[in-house]
Amino acid sequence: MTMQIAQTHYIAPTRRRFLVASRWLLQAAIVAVVAGLAIWLALAVRDALGRKGIQFSFGYLSNAANISLSEGLVPSLDGVWPILEPFSPSHSNAQALVAGLWNSLKVALSAIALCTVFGTLVGIGRLSTNWLVRNLSFALVECVRNTPLLIQIVFWYFAVVLRFPPANAASNWFGGLIASRSGVFLPGLAISEDVGLASWALLAAAVASAIAVLVVGGMRRKLTILAVAIGALSAAGALGFPLSFDLPVATRFGARGGIALSPEMTAILLAITVNSSAYVAEIVRGAIDSLPKGQWEAAASLGLSRPDTLRDIILPQVFRIVLPSLANRYISLTKDTSLGIAIGFPDLFNVYGTVSNQTGRNLEGVVIVMLVYLALSWIISVCVNALNARINGQGETR
Amino acid sequence: MNAAALRWAHRNLFAKPFDTALSLIVIPVLAWVLYAFAVWVLAEARWEVIGGSLKVLMTGIYPAEQLWRAWFALAMLCAMFGAGLGLSVRPGRTALTVVALAGAVVAASAAAVVGAGAGALTAGSAALGIAAWVGVHRSASARRLVLPGLLAGVVAIFAVLSPPGFELWGGLLLSVVLTITVSILTVPFGILLALGRQSRIASLRVICTAYIETMRSVPLILVVYWIWIIVPLLAPDASIPSLLRGMAGYALFFAAYVAEYVRSGLQAVPKGQVEAARSLGMSSWTVNVDIVLPQALRVVVPSLVGQILDIFNGATLVFIIGLTDFLRAGQMILADPQNSGRTYEIYVFLFAVYFAIGGAITFASRRLEAHLARGSR
Repeated sequence: MTMQIAQTHYIAPTRRRFLVASRWLLQAAIVAVVAGLAIWLALAVRDALGRKGIQFSFGYLSNAANISLSEGLVPSLDGVWPILEPFSPSHSNAQALVAGLWNSLKVALSAIALCTVFGTLVGIGRLSTNWLVRNLSFALVECVRNTPLLIQIVFWYFAVVLRFPPANAASNWFGGLIASRSGVFLPGLAISEDVGLASWALLAAAVASAIAVLVVGGMRRKLTILAVAIGALSAAGALGFPLSFDLPVATRFGARGGIALSPEMTAILLAITVNSSAYVAEIVRGAIDSLPKGQWEAAASLGLSRPDTLRDIILPQVFRIVLPSLANRYISLTKDTSLGIAIGFPDLFNVYGTVSNQTGRNLEGVVIVMLVYLALSWIISVCVNALNARINGQGETR
Repeated sequence: MNAAALRWAHRNLFAKPFDTALSLIVIPVLAWVLYAFAVWVLAEARWEVIGGSLKVLMTGIYPAEQLWRAWFALAMLCAMFGAGLGLSVRPGRTALTVVALAGAVVAASAAAVVGAGAGALTAGSAALGIAAWVGVHRSASARRLVLPGLLAGVVAIFAVLSPPGFELWGGLLLSVVLTITVSILTVPFGILLALGRQSRIASLRVICTAYIETMRSVPLILVVYWIWIIVPLLAPDASIPSLLRGMAGYALFFAAYVAEYVRSGLQAVPKGQVEAARSLGMSSWTVNVDIVLPQALRVVVPSLVGQILDIFNGATLVFIIGLTDFLRAGQMILADPQNSGRTYEIYVFLFAVYFAIGGAITFASRRLEAHLARGSR
């Protein structure tokens, strides 16, 4: 700034020194005011807590929590091996918060994966040549975006999931999916106990070669590696396959086996997935619309059908454009998991509330929860930015 | 006519094999869903529960003998909405008919469910809103009064509603008043933050950026709850009602989003404008207030109106600080064992009202965008 002034007018050196000094004074004054405000806030809070006989400290984190959570895993040490075990009241407050974070991440990551897929489908549906599909997708997006997320969560929980049939009367859909009011049970993968190390090694080799097929170039090499993968897989099968499908079996109060989702988890996952899908659909639709019409026309004149054009021409470009918007959506989605408290889902915010009710340590907890959410947002944007740089960087070198 | 319908169906539903397959799946499913819903709405649903609990849904536990205050607020809100509409939407014959019909339907339902008095008051409020719409659109001097009028309206609503006590506010009234107050509070704060983020003073820039980014990374519910617990610690002697603490939390949170919208608007103002103003010798304050902000705000008005919807949707989170908003009022009615079987009736009603208000805000935002885009061409 001073440079600009110096170029346009003649300014006496004393005046210039005065201008520079006043700028620095202004900076110092702003910093001082903000620092003063922060210190005043901290002191006032400390005084207020002191009057109640509480001291600001994080020591409570290592005390036993004495609360119970309906779900959530915590890391702990079994001898020297780190393992995940279900949360129990004898765990510490810190571990309770970790269990809450685990639940939040469980919902957030599943919802991110699901809403990307469904959102893209709905986004394509918004541009379908079929009038009904187009308008139904539009109606879905508008209904979801113009109503609060909280009422959607509450509705899915009280009016849908809790109205499912009881577990013993629930029908078994597609042979392995049980939807009951005590939760939803999906088929899972189970580890067979009595197989040798050899078949594990063969399975690992098969997985490694399957990944290698995606990475290496050249048709011949791909085919060779694919043959190796199939060979390893069938050899593992002959020796006794180490993994098996674990189908849930309905019992009186729920189901055994498979992957169990609690009713709260089912409701919040459904609500957040449907909600975010609508936003992702709008992002995808906007991106498809923003591509030049010539892309469609050129593909059509080459004889590509509309689905082929979409798959091979349009979507690869769309995913380059939408990544930054998707990152924002994923961050919002992760923050939305904090609404689990409305239906009693033990996410991070809910566990924080329970812990601070027990210990009276609201402020320490807020600092922790705030830092965790900041870190999550930061991690998501770093991951998506890295992906963005990789994808769009590749595009330039091609 | 029939041939035209067939042609339309052929072009839009059965143009290609894939479309035909989709239509053949979607049409029966959709017909069945619509039929089942219609049967439920017309025959099976017991809508008396809505009529019986309308007072709680709309105003929460607001004392019944003070309800005239709530009616005053409704009339003010209708007038304010009409005045806002007058700025962007032309009251053409179709638009007027649609709004008048909607008002008449709502008033008639109020008359049928609650009583003739309520119906007349609703109809009066709707008429006031339409009058404000037409009046603001017709007269340029009225248009200049809209902004001060909106502020005065909010103050009047607060002045009239507050005597029975802030703790008694509830229902849809609470949601709407909170939304409007917070929307207005966030604008000046957001503009200051945006200017701070663009400032040439490094320390100010860092502080504003840190504030904006922190607020945008944490959930709204956390901010509202935190402000709610920290205010009594800072001012132990003054007992500040939950509602005002909640509003402060919402305002602090959404100001960060407003700041980002305003920043995008500031960036849309060509650099040459600033340079030209500076070369005329204007101070940076004058440049910002007289040259940059008027142009920047014009760009961001649609986003700011759209943000009102986010605030309205976020207003459901006040349950965390013990307030009873519209959704919470509905849940309270369902908690009464007498109404335990009426889950779907209540939720369908809540969804319908939320969707009507949300849809109106979205519509206004889109119209404003189109209106402003036309003006700047």
